[in-house]
Amino acid sequence: MRMRLGTAALFVLPALVLFGVFILYPMVTAFSYAFFDWQGTSRGAFVGFKQFEALFTKPPFTTDLPRALLHNIVFFLATIVLQNSIGLGIASLLHSRASTRRALQTLFAVPYLVSPLVVGYLWSLLLSPAFGPVNTLLRKVGLESWALPWLGDPTTALPVVILISVWQWIGFPVLLYGAALGGIPEEFSEAARVDGARPSQIFRRIKLPLLLPAIGTVSVLTFIFAMEAFALPYAVGGSTGNPGGATDFLSLLFYRTAFDSGATDAIGTSSALATLLFVVIFGGALTATWVLRRQERRLLG
Amino acid sequence: MTATTTVPAAPAPSDPLRQPKAAGGGTTRRRGPGRVAASIILWGYAIVALLPLLIMVMSSLRTNMQLATDPLGLPTSPTFAAYRRAWTQGQFGAYFLNSLLVTIGAVALSTAVSTAAAYALARSNSRIMRVLEALFLSGLMLPIHLAVLPIFYLFDGVGLIDSRIGLILLYGAGGVPFSVFVLGAFFRQVPGELEEAAAIDGAGPWRVFTTIMIPLVRPALATVAVFRFVPIWNDFLFPLVLLRSDSKYTLPVGLSTFFGEHANDYSTIFAGLVITTLPLIALFAIATKQIVAGLTAGMSK
Amino acid sequence: MTPSFSSTVHHGPIRRARPRRTLLMAAAATLTGALLAAGCAPSNSDSASTGTAAGAGGSAGGSGGGAASADGPVTLTVWSWRVEDTAAYRKIFDAYQSKNPGVTVNFKAFKATEYNQILATGLSGSDGPDVPQVRSYGQLQATLAAKSLVPLDDTLDLKGWDPTIVASAKGKADGKLYAVPFAQQSVQLYYNQDVFSANGIKPPTTWKEFQDACAKLKQAGVTPLAIGGKDDWTLPIVHEAVAASRFGGKEFAAAAASGKKNFTDPNWTASIQTVADLKQYMPDGVTGVPLTDAVTLFATGKAAIFPGGSYDLAMLKAANPDLKLGVFQMPVVDGSPAGATPTTAGWADGNFGVNAKSKNVAAAKKLVKWMSTKEFGQLVVDEIKQVSAVPGVTFSDPVMKQMSDFYAKNPSPYFLLTDFRYGTPSGGELFTKGMVNVLLGKQSPAQVGTDMDKGLAAWFKPQQ
Repeated sequence: MRMRLGTAALFVLPALVLFGVFILYPMVTAFSYAFFDWQGTSRGAFVGFKQFEALFTKPPFTTDLPRALLHNIVFFLATIVLQNSIGLGIASLLHSRASTRRALQTLFAVPYLVSPLVVGYLWSLLLSPAFGPVNTLLRKVGLESWALPWLGDPTTALPVVILISVWQWIGFPVLLYGAALGGIPEEFSEAARVDGARPSQIFRRIKLPLLLPAIGTVSVLTFIFAMEAFALPYAVGGSTGNPGGATDFLSLLFYRTAFDSGATDAIGTSSALATLLFVVIFGGALTATWVLRRQERRLLG
Repeated sequence: MTATTTVPAAPAPSDPLRQPKAAGGGTTRRRGPGRVAASIILWGYAIVALLPLLIMVMSSLRTNMQLATDPLGLPTSPTFAAYRRAWTQGQFGAYFLNSLLVTIGAVALSTAVSTAAAYALARSNSRIMRVLEALFLSGLMLPIHLAVLPIFYLFDGVGLIDSRIGLILLYGAGGVPFSVFVLGAFFRQVPGELEEAAAIDGAGPWRVFTTIMIPLVRPALATVAVFRFVPIWNDFLFPLVLLRSDSKYTLPVGLSTFFGEHANDYSTIFAGLVITTLPLIALFAIATKQIVAGLTAGMSK
Repeated sequence: MTPSFSSTVHHGPIRRARPRRTLLMAAAATLTGALLAAGCAPSNSDSASTGTAAGAGGSAGGSGGGAASADGPVTLTVWSWRVEDTAAYRKIFDAYQSKNPGVTVNFKAFKATEYNQILATGLSGSDGPDVPQVRSYGQLQATLAAKSLVPLDDTLDLKGWDPTIVASAKGKADGKLYAVPFAQQSVQLYYNQDVFSANGIKPPTTWKEFQDACAKLKQAGVTPLAIGGKDDWTLPIVHEAVAASRFGGKEFAAAAASGKKNFTDPNWTASIQTVADLKQYMPDGVTGVPLTDAVTLFATGKAAIFPGGSYDLAMLKAANPDLKLGVFQMPVVDGSPAGATPTTAGWADGNFGVNAKSKNVAAAKKLVKWMSTKEFGQLVVDEIKQVSAVPGVTFSDPVMKQMSDFYAKNPSPYFLLTDFRYGTPSGGELFTKGMVNVLLGKQSPAQVGTDMDKGLAAWFKPQQ
């Protein structure tokens, strides 16, 4: 049933006003800040793209920006691989058990409910070489050489942050893939089985293509999530991305630039960074969607 | 960074009139070693998911001295002294009520306005509405935390600093993209005949919306509400910057101050972590059924 | 974008617009809007002018209630990042209130790690503090650039104060004084007296004695040095505490600040090596140990020595009230430059200033002026347990007195902070990154110096 434009407008208006005033307007303002000169919190002259130029020509951005971007990308790729494989694996295993499925789904989702602040703090304590239970446990079972300063070594810190993140968010793909698997009619697999297909074939040839939309959704959302990553790295490694910038991310760089650098034009450069981040997220998400749609069309015909 | 966009759920429209049978009709006939192995994997992973949180709970029941000498020990003589300290010194009671007020207010607000908007967007073919929809959805990618300065100035200008109402409005607005996205997909699935019949009986659009449409999308409403609840409950940045008085702090901000005061009082901190986390786990445990139903309805075809 | 994408999840005959194209349009609209909004963004140039106005004429700037006349009933808000000192500050300001009837002081503390953000927004908004605690040296400059603080040259008289400390409250560009340092910080080595005597050790007076003491403690199963290297700002402090004499203390600091020496200087390299050589006496995996765990090690007697700042005293006492604390200055490290003496690095980490937007500038100035008096200094010592920067305060706590004496006798600036934090990357940041890698055996001390020079070249222009 169609709705008249006037009526529709009335229905949309409250959401539009709310969204426009409290999200769109500040966000657009934030972008606009990037085009001005700043002295602390007072705005100076319009300077065009000067602040953006600074991001690519001036230290510390010349070193920190590529590093942070690299970490975001590594974070995204590792998360997508781990979350999709573990999530899909668990969801498939869960699919075949009706009785315990809901209980397990809930258990797997519990870490998601914990505030990133709490998660970061908790894992810092758990992984501490001095009193942390993780290293205590490793020593007890004779893995002395594995008792590393996990969050204190640049080579292990980023992987650990990724694992903590996967640990926290795994409930999501499990729920989503579970739901998607539930939507695949049992007759499909049944028919294939009658035709003599092995379970692995059924999974690869029948279920996987049908799951592709769900995988795509998870992937695009993971991309946005990974590019915006802030709360967890902040709680684990502080605003500088300890140790030695090994867990630095774009959002942390933004935060540092805006609030910790002490630079007088901090608002301008940090806004330029925010704008850049938005462009990356927006562009990336659109591209990813486009690629995935093509894939789907190819597979599903 | 997570408040607005980290909630991945991409329910494709489904037929809410026909609640899909939970996928669980699945196969239970496979027995033997494969199934045992699957059980081991699933329950093993459940331990991985929960162990850190169990350690958190156990540590809150032990004394600091016990924690320093044996980080992994069991609470052989559990003491609730840490909870008493946390509760009396940390004003968690007040923080808790503030969090509840802000979160429920914001979720109610964004769900209400988004439901109306999503309905109109689904039922109007106007080009303006398509642009508006795209505008809302682009909000899924806005790293809104990067706009913290403009938001502060906006709030300062209209006297919303140190106001819980301000936070409700902000979070309410932040929830619009996700809620419109999910609910829009559901409304599109509802066939128009019901409305047409009601319209012939003389019901206006508002009446149709409230008496017919809302009951039909109830599973989606539950999903949206719960998935918005979590990030708002856990958000730290906005209350930190926008609130001034202790008495209005939400749990995460209260908790961060609490960390500062009790840096070396591990058991009290652990107790604080538990107090902050429990309500969400309770909510989720109660609501899993709804969430799974909503998601399943969304993800299946 | 997901919506168009999810439309493929189902294959039903459902009306779909073409969200992809409209989405692009929306994006374009958003970005164009950004440029347009430039005209209507919250006018911050206004805030600058208000700032100057209030700053220039504090007495005229008050709005309503005759607030500016220092004598009427006035409420002053003080902001700080010292959450742990809230009770002490309330007591201190009670003392001020009882002497200044009509003045109410509201003290409000925020978490230290997020304070910068709260301060930046608070000072530019309309309901900020009258008297904010502000950062020091380079970290103060952005606040000053925004004209958020009132110059206090005519209000404060800090003659007789340590110049290193006073420099923390000055504008780099205009040389004006904008605030009063609330305390003077210094680094030294705390030790647990009981652990020392149980192992027959006295505070070392030579480098050899220090090393022997560490070896003996380690043998006895005690961690000699409680260091938490995961919190990045601790490592430069540890370096100052143990190796300041090795690079040459204030002579090197002055030479580096004036550009006569750089960080590839062999003495600087050797000082980093000094810290690296002590790794065997630090907790296992020191770079991953959070500071709180290092404190717990020390407070529970599992570690004997805690290299730390004078600001740590109250925290150590809170961690274990029964702890018998002592403090010593690191003896001259072997191989130090000729004429080296033990030295104690000092600096100021915070100041109290007057918000240019305050409605009570006159009353706020009066409060800040009081904060430069001996009365306030003594209260800081007695209540907050920090070493006040006000000359002439007395210490009843022997440890605090000792720390103050050490600094008075052989002061040197904690120069990575006092001189090398006026730009990014800061000297401390570069040092920390290198030190972590040295402790992990991934970098040589010489490389740290090279990287520091390279990083600092971005902004550091020495005034020869």
